[in-house]
Amino acid sequence: MKNDNSSIDQHVGEQLSGYIDGELTQQERQRVVLHCETCEQCRQNLDEIRVLRKRIGDTRLSTIGADKWRETMEDTTVRTSQSIGWILFIAGLLIAFGIGLIGFVSESGMSLGEKIMIFAIYGGLATLLFSVLRQRLIERKSDKYKDVEI
Amino acid sequence: MKSDAMRQQLVHLGNGAHALATQILGSTDDAADAVHDSIATVLKRPEAFDPSKGSLKSWFLRVVHNRCVDQLRQRRQISSEVDELIEPGMGPEQSLEMAQRDQSLRLALGQLRNEQRQIIVLRDYMNLSYAEIANVLDVAQGTVMSRLHRSRLALKEELTRHEK
Repeated sequence: MKNDNSSIDQHVGEQLSGYIDGELTQQERQRVVLHCETCEQCRQNLDEIRVLRKRIGDTRLSTIGADKWRETMEDTTVRTSQSIGWILFIAGLLIAFGIGLIGFVSESGMSLGEKIMIFAIYGGLATLLFSVLRQRLIERKSDKYKDVEI
Repeated sequence: MKSDAMRQQLVHLGNGAHALATQILGSTDDAADAVHDSIATVLKRPEAFDPSKGSLKSWFLRVVHNRCVDQLRQRRQISSEVDELIEPGMGPEQSLEMAQRDQSLRLALGQLRNEQRQIIVLRDYMNLSYAEIANVLDVAQGTVMSRLHRSRLALKEELTRHEK
């Protein structure tokens, strides 16, 4: 009898794995048991796969502890509440801006030229503030080292 | 499922999910990011989990698996470089601390094809049933046993080669 993997497959093959994992029907299990009683090669493979399986289970394939995932959850909660906070803040700001703008446009004590000038100054400042904030947010999101403590 | 109960379960699943992601992405850092993002996605819409369609374990692992595959697609390495991973995610300091036995298993695992590594981690590390594995990997249940068996034989061969 050849002692390689191809000859194993001629025996009970993949059913060895199914047997170890408890995924076979009663009939299939019996077939594997009967076969292994007479086939030393399959019996040996069965034992080797069992040992291998245990070894994989005992090996630490991830070195990250459960605390890290707990922190992730907290982080997610904080982020969600921050997002809600930002949405409310921006919505409030937009409403206040809209009310202010309507009041400013309907103001009768100013000429059109004065209105355009004041609008340009405040509009320019608001645009600058917005672009700085946007830049900061982009940097914050893309900075890989933001969590590194120095 | 209540969000708190889901959080508890996710904490316990984190490690296994990280092991799976490491095998797919080949980097512990990228894997941690993928699991982190998956947890955030799941917690954002916990109602997306339907218990009648399977366990939280297999559903969450499927989310992680899909995210990793997306990440790989973005890297455009899906077919070539992934199969050439040598030692998924182990830095020199970690390697020193690890027992020689575990190290050789990781090395041997690193020589397998991506799909082989995934199925071994899902079954032998995370103890998923064949039905759950089929769900996570989106393959027919009948495929699982043969793929798993071939993967185990391949790993056994690699281990023998490493430990000679």
